[in-house]
Amino acid sequence: MNEKILKQLEGYETVKADMETAEKYGADFNSEKGKVLEYIHRLHPATMRLKVSRIIQETPSAKTFRLVSQDGYLPPFQAGQYISIIFDISEIRTSRPFSISSSPTQTGYYDITVRRVENGLVSNYLLDTVKNGDTFESSGPCGTFVFNPIIHDSTMVCIAGGSGITPFMSMIREITDCGLDRTVYLFYGNRELKDIIFHEELTRISNDFLNIFYIPVIENVSKDFTGACGLITSQLLNDTLKKHSNKSFFLCGPQGMYDFCLPQLDHLGIPKRKIRQEVYGPSVDIFDYPGWPKEIKKKDTFKISVKGRSAIKAAAGDSLLSSLEKNKILVPSICRSGGCSMCRVKVLSGKVFQPAGVPVRASDKQFGYVHSCMSFPVEDLEILV
Amino acid sequence: MKHYDIIVIGAGNGGLTAAATLVNKGKNVLLLERHNIPGGCATSFCRGRFEFEVALHQLSGMGTPAKPGPLRSTLQRLGVLDQLEPIPMEDLFRLIIPGQIDMTLKPDRADIIRTLQKRFPDEKTSIETFFDLTYNFFTQVISVMYLNDPEATPDKYPLYFKYALKSAKEVLDSLFQDPLLKTLLSPYWTYIGLPPSKMAFTELAAMFFAFIEFLPFHLKGGSQTLSNAIADKIIERGGDIRFNCGVKKIIVQDNQVKGVITDTDEVIYTNWIVSNASKVATYIDLIGSEHIPQSVVKELKKSTLTQSAFTVYLGLECKPEAIGMTAATNFLFPHTDMEAVYERMKHREITDQDALVLSCYNLADQSFSPPGTCQVAIVTLKYGDTWLTVPPSQYAAEKYRVADAMIRVAEKAFPNIKNYIEEIEIATPLTHLRYLNHPKGSVYGFEHFIKNSELFIPNISHIKGLYGAGGSYGLCGFQPTLDSGVLTASKLLKDMGA
Ligand SMILES: Cc1cc2nc3c(=O)[nH]c(=O)nc-3n(C[C@H](O)[C@H](O)[C@H](O)COP(=O)(O)OP(=O)(O)OC[C@H]3O[C@@H](n4cnc5c(N)ncnc54)[C@H](O)[C@@H]3O)c2cc1C
Ligand SMILES: Cc1cc2nc3c(=O)[nH]c(=O)nc-3n(C[C@H](O)[C@H](O)[C@H](O)COP(=O)(O)OP(=O)(O)OC[C@H]3O[C@@H](n4cnc5c(N)ncnc54)[C@H](O)[C@@H]3O)c2cc1C
Ligand code: FES
Repeated sequence: MNEKILKQLEGYETVKADMETAEKYGADFNSEKGKVLEYIHRLHPATMRLKVSRIIQETPSAKTFRLVSQDGYLPPFQAGQYISIIFDISEIRTSRPFSISSSPTQTGYYDITVRRVENGLVSNYLLDTVKNGDTFESSGPCGTFVFNPIIHDSTMVCIAGGSGITPFMSMIREITDCGLDRTVYLFYGNRELKDIIFHEELTRISNDFLNIFYIPVIENVSKDFTGACGLITSQLLNDTLKKHSNKSFFLCGPQGMYDFCLPQLDHLGIPKRKIRQEVYGPSVDIFDYPGWPKEIKKKDTFKISVKGRSAIKAAAGDSLLSSLEKNKILVPSICRSGGCSMCRVKVLSGKVFQPAGVPVRASDKQFGYVHSCMSFPVEDLEILV
Repeated sequence: MKHYDIIVIGAGNGGLTAAATLVNKGKNVLLLERHNIPGGCATSFCRGRFEFEVALHQLSGMGTPAKPGPLRSTLQRLGVLDQLEPIPMEDLFRLIIPGQIDMTLKPDRADIIRTLQKRFPDEKTSIETFFDLTYNFFTQVISVMYLNDPEATPDKYPLYFKYALKSAKEVLDSLFQDPLLKTLLSPYWTYIGLPPSKMAFTELAAMFFAFIEFLPFHLKGGSQTLSNAIADKIIERGGDIRFNCGVKKIIVQDNQVKGVITDTDEVIYTNWIVSNASKVATYIDLIGSEHIPQSVVKELKKSTLTQSAFTVYLGLECKPEAIGMTAATNFLFPHTDMEAVYERMKHREITDQDALVLSCYNLADQSFSPPGTCQVAIVTLKYGDTWLTVPPSQYAAEKYRVADAMIRVAEKAFPNIKNYIEEIEIATPLTHLRYLNHPKGSVYGFEHFIKNSELFIPNISHIKGLYGAGGSYGLCGFQPTLDSGVLTASKLLKDMGA
């Protein structure tokens, strides 16, 4: 506004004096330079550079990789969180999330514990090829599968399947390291006795600590195992826990485990708000997933035209994200389970299958955005990345 | 060599409407956003079966189709109105001071006056006077400020010249006795971060005028719907948007912008930039001290950063009634001393001496969360410094501790919230800093003292080709920042000769 009008406003002189004082004594904000990034980096670095410092064979099919920082700083994490590691394998750049299995009290390193997945690209690479001194880039710690003292009961019922033990291992280690006032019932399902990761440590902890109860459950009955056999049923939970009203339930494992265990909890009358479930990637076999269009078979392929680039071929059953990665079209990803929206792309035409329950924002649905890690082409597509 | 007519940095409200306006004029535009979604504050995030609204409590300036407000027309011009479902809110707000008052006002001038007069019969005429003044004054503000009447004189606009630089408190004190009544007429100070003694009467009048004349609104699907709609329009009309792509440098030569360098070291050339990043980030981090014009240093010295916010987002496994929630927008104040409440914003702790704003969107839109559930956001303003000193190793524990304290305070008016929590997420000033890239997590730009208003610090271009849009270049709030992008883009187009 022009000076002439301003000067006629009642109180102008006072405001002008205020302004002159501020101009004289105010800060020029130069001290803020780089501060925002610095604060972000202390808690949530966008990327970290890690190095393998030790490899521990846990079972015939699982190893722990001890990761240290190449630049000397590892941000704190909450037990239950994961990091997403980037890999370059046979000219494909991809990422995989792995829960941290070490205790948050251990500030010098993060452990990740990886179990072999049949035909899996990354798990096999990690188990067969990676050696001490190898380096990786990863995301900072993320994920919401953590104990929240505001809403969770101090008695936790943890239900793990296979490599889903890792977040619980971190939680149990923290509880015992710090002497936290929390009780854990860990139900840990595996196919065979030899598959159980951390069996000895868990047995020892449960012997030493009155507040940690370890209930391994083996699917295939065997002579040398005296514990529970079969699956983790409401019956087993009921027999062990007696009462469930003052307990929070945590589940982590493959889709099959959720499909089986969630109805068991429902049967026990556990309200939804008492149950937390970690995301754990797409179902092993998407072709068997409820809602999958039966006419589409493994041998089918689709053409995906990526706007502004050449078209690629995608195999049915591969997520849109992996198909893009295989064709060197990079889309950032973190959770690879549909939960973080990092891999969001817009579908301009054509259809994808999205498993039920993937949390996509209502307005993203309205405008055709999908989370490519949990979207499976079922037609030729045109997309925008 | 990549080149665009115009590059817009940041897809917050201001960046989005700027880009959309430029694309509509046929320009070749690139919009760069650090985050993986558009919107800045105007976003949402999913937890379990809930989609949490990040910022929008009440949208101003929308108006109904029968009586459209300025924002409705802006959105219409941008071509996005059809994709939105704006829902008017039934209540202006409910204000609770435990033990003293619990009153709900409707967004209707006559109704508010009646309700207040009934409760404060001694101040009957002043109540009427206040609303007359507010309306008449703001009508003059529109003529002088928005319509830029070149013949503005004290004779023609006496109210404007008298009240433009007055604080809200001066006006309230001159009319009213009862501190409760004054508090009921000014809870909106928490929407800009300055107590009535420091807040311009203009801002208070603007909010009353906008919310009463054009009603407070909610958007179906939350503010993310608006951001997505504008982003989609930009793409549809041929603009490029890159998400997960921050800018780390603006290239300046001889006081003229030349392009940007992205976080992945890509150089993209342009002679025209609109920055929706905060003014501090734009000049201090992206441009750097060697290129900051003296005029900007002067402006920055006059300015201080607003508070950030501490928010608890709750997904509750119950209906709003179960916790006594009856209005979509609720102010829970400890007492009537707003100066003391403002002081509390300099402390990390949350006690029953803090002011909380609680929003329950389901009361505007039943379908806002799954059947049988509701979503509540509890917010209070806190200066960023209070959180920047927390050691990283204690950050998570501190978050839980303070959030727990906040919920306990809220339970004084809305009992048993805790029994129903299914999902909870906590945002601290550090969360805002991380997602918005604003220094100290400041959510409302620079403190809106009278000396910092657009009257004295207009949003002009200090470096050739560089323009600013958003909360730190003028007013904050949805309507003003959405407007700011449109205005900035128009200025740029004019300077471009387009
Ligand atoms: C939040 C989170 C935390 C995780 N933490 C761990 C961890 O601590 N330890 C660990 O070993 N893994 C963990 N995973 C799984 C891990 O990220 C990889 O998915 C897994 O190692 C397989 O990757 P791959 O490249 O070998 O297989 P891919 O090449 O990706 O897949 C090959 C086939 O295996 C299926 N498949 C993918 N993941 C699994 C799985 N987990 N179980 C069974 N089949 C699968 C695919 O559908 C596909 O059919 C976690 C996943 C998530 C989302
Ligand atoms: C908790 C809360 C509640 C609120 N409630 C209301 C309300 O009820 N009503 C109302 O009207 N207003 C409300 N507001 C205010 C309103 O949300 C803001 O004023 C408005 O959204 C700010 O818009 P903006 O254009 O300034 O951009 P911002 O939302 O600040 O966004 C800036 C964008 O720029 C991006 N960016 C920054 N730096 C870079 C870079 N270097 N490179 C690339 N991108 C970058 C950021 O990632 C971000 O997306 C609220 C705000 C908050 C935080
Ligand atoms: S990578 Fe998280 S949603 Fe796809």
